[in-house]
Amino acid sequence: MERRITEHPILGTIEKGRKVSFTYDGKTVEGYEGEPVAEALKALGVMVHRYTTKKHRPRGIFCAIGRCTDCVMVVDGVPNTRTCITSVREGMTVETQVGVVPASQVKDTVLKGGIMA
Amino acid sequence: MKRYDLVIVGAGPSGLSAAIEAAGYGMKTVVYDENSRPGGQLFKQIHKFFGSKEHHAKIRGFRIGEELLQEASAAGVEVQLESTVTGIYEDKEVTVQRKGHIEHVKGDTIIVATGASENMVPFGGWDLPGVIGAGAAQTMMNLHGVKPGEKVLMLGSGNVGLVVSFQLMQAGCEVVALVDAAPAIGGYGVHAAKLARCGVPFYMSHTITKAEGTDHVTGVVISQVNEKFQKIPGTEKHFDADTICVAVGLSPMSQLLKMSGCTMSDDPKRGGQVPETDEYGETSVSGVYAAGDVSGIEEASSAMIEGRISGTRAAYEMGFVSEEDEIKELTKLKNDLLSLRRGMFAPGNKGKKIEKTEEGINVSQNLLTKGYLSEAEIFRYPGICRKKGLHPVIECSQNIPCNPCQDACKFSCINVGKDITSLPVVNPLAKCSGCGMCVASCSGQAIFLVDEDYDETGASVTLPYEFFPLPRVGDQGYARNRAGEIVCKAEVISVKSSPAYDRTNLLTIRVPKDMAMKARFYADRAETKAETAGGAV
Repeated sequence: MERRITEHPILGTIEKGRKVSFTYDGKTVEGYEGEPVAEALKALGVMVHRYTTKKHRPRGIFCAIGRCTDCVMVVDGVPNTRTCITSVREGMTVETQVGVVPASQVKDTVLKGGIMA
Repeated sequence: MKRYDLVIVGAGPSGLSAAIEAAGYGMKTVVYDENSRPGGQLFKQIHKFFGSKEHHAKIRGFRIGEELLQEASAAGVEVQLESTVTGIYEDKEVTVQRKGHIEHVKGDTIIVATGASENMVPFGGWDLPGVIGAGAAQTMMNLHGVKPGEKVLMLGSGNVGLVVSFQLMQAGCEVVALVDAAPAIGGYGVHAAKLARCGVPFYMSHTITKAEGTDHVTGVVISQVNEKFQKIPGTEKHFDADTICVAVGLSPMSQLLKMSGCTMSDDPKRGGQVPETDEYGETSVSGVYAAGDVSGIEEASSAMIEGRISGTRAAYEMGFVSEEDEIKELTKLKNDLLSLRRGMFAPGNKGKKIEKTEEGINVSQNLLTKGYLSEAEIFRYPGICRKKGLHPVIECSQNIPCNPCQDACKFSCINVGKDITSLPVVNPLAKCSGCGMCVASCSGQAIFLVDEDYDETGASVTLPYEFFPLPRVGDQGYARNRAGEIVCKAEVISVKSSPAYDRTNLLTIRVPKDMAMKARFYADRAETKAETAGGAV
């Protein structure tokens, strides 16, 4: 499924920056320099950016303009980074956030228990 | 502490317009904006704007944004980006958070043009990824070229809901339904009609019961509501969808004004907490102005004029412009603003049920509930006439301040008159050259060229077309009626694109003669969405 619009009837060709690599939960992925991290992830099909602290509810993009804080993730080790207004850079690390820590530091069972509950 | 003649908060349409005026009069002006790009929401608006020439009518929002930025840079306006104004204190001291620290500046005058934020409505699963604001959809697809989803359900039938639904389709998404708890469509009928003829079903008096999915949206259930907006059990309908787009209104972001001590009032017609202002936007705190959506939700076109009014007034108050020039300029601007605030959708008419047009014609109930004019209703409007040969058919049935169609025709075939909210009248005696400028100039895409005498058995219908892929001459497809139903076969006989049309392509199809006043859209396949969507739960 192609999530990027290559030719738009009104906007024509949508200009993008240089293609760069960054890591998402340890996997190397690609995005365009300068575009928001949230947009690069959306184009990759990522829906869940974080799980809430108490009930482990999944959250993703909501307002896309830096207002609601639903899309925060751990970026370059910094939790609560608003991915919709943080630009993609070569070599950056982006991690799914659980509460305020990276998902990799949380036991799977905790997460699953939370989602199903 | 840095001192400015004028500090403006917000580099959107209103703030930039205010800055252009003030800087033009020689005021030392700074504009702060928390975003990394100026222009506010203008660059996400890819549709043609309504209004008259003075209001940038028939120009797409993002192009107006480009013009504003050029004007601002020519006027020497200083725009500070990624700078969040966090407070306005006594004696107009302003705190700005930028580059990780707080700066203090002082403005002799302040214009707050912070705009508005989107409202939300809670329902089961509303926090799931895949539930997004309509503004988020615009940001993704129109700024960054990323599709918000594949199958989208839109909640809200105001102009934002209608316009964004159309833009979603232009981005290649499917809009499975447009849902609103209100009994009548809130936005312009012409915007609704664009969706209806593409086959988007409208569910008025319906609301979302729940979003389905465990870690993201996979479906939606809607229910009908009664007059008290309570859900009626047993009316549930299910839609497969990966995205729910919420467009249920905007609220002024007026916190800074409240903090600065302005007298506020709660005005539902203006969208919530708004400052009390005089006709120039000056609040109860002398020298602090509010312009644009922050002082009441309207269109970007009004916001730009309000900005210019406040900017000019501030320049006058500070002695940068003579009283004579100020009066001249403000009289013109106030007239421009007044002409935009008229018609059925004027701020004063919010919430009112309007039964008749200014011409005394009954308003189409079908348009308000289903999104299209019915065939029985169509001939009551003055833009519709039947005659031999090629002529425009203008399906404009509501009094909206808009008149580019009148200027588009060089043969005076179309007349709106002095009053820009009047319905356009087609003169059956005037010549139509078939240039198509009227079709492309109509921001509501409500103008068609019809020739019932195209050949012995067929009629031709020229319609505005803003989708990809563009059909080609010779393509054999189908015609949809105003309701989006496939009504007959259609052959593409002409496809015209021109810089003068600004990306609105003119598609001419040949249909059987009796379909001339029915066929209003082209489809390459014979399926209608209405038949496949909205299954029982």
